[in-house]
Amino acid sequence: MGEAHAVTANTENETARIQDLRVEVGGRALVDGVSLRLAPGRITALIGASGSGKTTTGRALLHEYPPGATVTGEVRVPDALVGYVPQDPATVLNPARPVAALLQDIARTQVRHLPRRARRPAVRERVLRALARARIPDGDTLLHRYPHQLSGGQQQRMVLAQALLTGAGTLVADEPTTGQDALTKQQIARQLAAVARQGIAVLLLSHDLEVVRSLADEVHVLCAGRIVESGPPEQLWRSPRHSWTRALLTRTEPAEPAEPAGIAAPPRDTVLQVRGLTARHGTSPVLHVPELRLPPGCSAVMGRSGSGKTTLARCLAGLHRTYDGQVLLDGAVLPRSLRDRTREQLAAVQYVFQDARAAFDAHRPVLDQVARSAIRLRHRPRPQATADAERTLRSLGLAGDLVRRTPAELSGGELQRAALARALLARPRVLICDEITSGLDTVTRRSLLTHLDGLLRADPDLSLVLITHGRDTAALATDLAVLDAGRLVEQGPADRLRTAPRHALTAALLQTAPDPRSLPDGPVPHR
Amino acid sequence: MTGLRSWLLRRLLLGAGQTAAVVLLVFALTEALPGDAAVALAGDQPDPARIAALREAMHLDRPAAERFGAWAAGLLHGDLGSSLVSGRPVSSYLADGFGPTLLLAALTLLLLVPLAGGLGVLAARYEGRLVDRLISAVTLAVYAVPEFAFGVLLVTVVALHLGWLPPTAVGYGGELLAHPAVLVLPVLVLLSRPVCSLARLVRAGMIDALAAPYIAHARRYGIPGVRIRYAHALPNALAPAAQQLARTVDWLLCGVIVVEALFVIPGLGTVLMNAVAERDVPVLQGLAVVFAGTAVVLNLAADTVVFRCTPRAGVVA
Repeated sequence: MGEAHAVTANTENETARIQDLRVEVGGRALVDGVSLRLAPGRITALIGASGSGKTTTGRALLHEYPPGATVTGEVRVPDALVGYVPQDPATVLNPARPVAALLQDIARTQVRHLPRRARRPAVRERVLRALARARIPDGDTLLHRYPHQLSGGQQQRMVLAQALLTGAGTLVADEPTTGQDALTKQQIARQLAAVARQGIAVLLLSHDLEVVRSLADEVHVLCAGRIVESGPPEQLWRSPRHSWTRALLTRTEPAEPAEPAGIAAPPRDTVLQVRGLTARHGTSPVLHVPELRLPPGCSAVMGRSGSGKTTLARCLAGLHRTYDGQVLLDGAVLPRSLRDRTREQLAAVQYVFQDARAAFDAHRPVLDQVARSAIRLRHRPRPQATADAERTLRSLGLAGDLVRRTPAELSGGELQRAALARALLARPRVLICDEITSGLDTVTRRSLLTHLDGLLRADPDLSLVLITHGRDTAALATDLAVLDAGRLVEQGPADRLRTAPRHALTAALLQTAPDPRSLPDGPVPHR
Repeated sequence: MTGLRSWLLRRLLLGAGQTAAVVLLVFALTEALPGDAAVALAGDQPDPARIAALREAMHLDRPAAERFGAWAAGLLHGDLGSSLVSGRPVSSYLADGFGPTLLLAALTLLLLVPLAGGLGVLAARYEGRLVDRLISAVTLAVYAVPEFAFGVLLVTVVALHLGWLPPTAVGYGGELLAHPAVLVLPVLVLLSRPVCSLARLVRAGMIDALAAPYIAHARRYGIPGVRIRYAHALPNALAPAAQQLARTVDWLLCGVIVVEALFVIPGLGTVLMNAVAERDVPVLQGLAVVFAGTAVVLNLAADTVVFRCTPRAGVVA
């Protein structure tokens, strides 16, 4: 490739520039001839599937490369200051220090020229100004908290405040909206727009196409380390030239409500039922669901982060046992705790976790771990269990040598499919999927959803419960339940909730697209 | 912070229970030992009539439960009782022994913390390089040497062959501080193993912390290296080291019997040895109360430090 992608003709008006960057590890190019220019006040987005080289390109601006990388090309940052907001802000906050510690240390490096006595007030003033710029309202009280005492949104804004405090002219934001619900996404998008308005060049690395479309001034599409297409978002969305761009931009959710996934005209009886459930953490109640019926087929439980979705799922699966009320499977009460459930009951309700990597033992081959559930829960002898496992994995598109490796050698999407296979080998009646698509890029997510749809069609006895905040994932469901702040606010057939939601949150979750400039579908105005 | 306070209160109550259990156990174990204070006092040619008379004089003929009850009732009033052998109050034994023990422990700690911390941070800073390998090898080797062997070696080489320092504290009595030369060898022996274990713990914790994304993030924003190591990384490495330090202090205050015996230092260890030899049950029990109380308080302090260093972990009673 190697041709320069001119963003602005004006060379002076740029905060950072990457020219013909090539990053190679062990003979494999992660980034291959990428050129970028970042201009003050503009948001430049890099989109592409996981592993397309977005993060490697972004980190190159910080002069950070993967270990053992061979780097050619030029990365120029005239003021040498680049702020970084990583995908998971919690990882860059020191768990043993209050958040003020790093902020004050950053400010201290800037006040060395002042007389000793003036330094302390100057540090304080700078820190508070950075908090204000990052839109942290009661920053003064938050400063003394430890990172775990802040919400995810506050953590992200603290990391942003650190970047602003350094005085950096360039900000790299790595997947800032991944794994967030629709309303939080909106807030983050507004935040990034505000940062850009302060005259900072923002490089947005994302596979969240809605956010990119509404925010970016310039979009570059990365595929296997190369920029295959660039341009303003409206042009890209209207007439994508490259086939990869077209694949990436294809709307995930169908224009009209999905054809009923799976079973043709299912009888409206109930597979899982919840009666008078009040779940507690310690002594404080966190979830109250008076009555919930999940019919056969695919149901989705939706809600914002912290609404109690996962707690509900954990109650169903027997992972959370401090609750009053009853959970019934096919009309029979399930014991509260996993320990009290029989082998058949354990096999009947299976759980797939959000973080597939954490759900696998890092040191054993994936195939062995997948086969294990057939051995443990169905008493299959090892050879048959392994054969079953291989068959199930193959049906999910994981074949051959790959499954005999350790989890480290599989990608996130592949591991998530292996986790599905492991749950399926128990021959479950109900499969609970807790946010299993939220860490994945569009292409991988779509393929996983296709697999889920295929499962439903292949086995009419299997019911799926999707825990999600994404409407594209929920599109698979024929029945929806919406939770807010620990309460069930609405429940019913998906068609009815999509067309005539009775609760504002249902409408917001099913219909909101992030629109920081409150112009949802119109052309993006130039600043 | 109310969570922390109620946790502290619960831990203190639990600690009182643990101390009581230790005292009961020590009493039961000394009862189970063959012979008693009367037999020990009677000497080499025990005359049954004399032993019986001694027993009666010491009230040892009364049932064990009654003796324990009387002692426990005294304890509630702050009275630890008095020695069966000499009749002196137990508190005076403790006061005499506590001075030298505390002196040794304080000196050792004063050197231990900066030395172990510094070595650990230094090794972690140069992980895998010569400095680290040198520190790791030496600390492992020294840790493998039991303190009595190291003590004997030091006495033989430094005191007897080279004659640089006095071999024992015999003749210096209670005024150890006036003769600092006497203290050098015991403190060296006491330091040897704790320095190694602590330095290795700090090194391991620091290596983890220095590789963490939050340290990379601090470096990214130009924080000076010294500040990163000591203000940002070290607090993350302190939690395991604090637990080990509490165990070390506990050992220094309650159990350096070998070192005290080797260097003839009249500390609590020596008092304990004599009390066991003379089956002097009240002195033993007094020591048990002090040792158990110290252990409870020190562990509680360590857990509080750990709670401060790993605020995420929450508290477990």
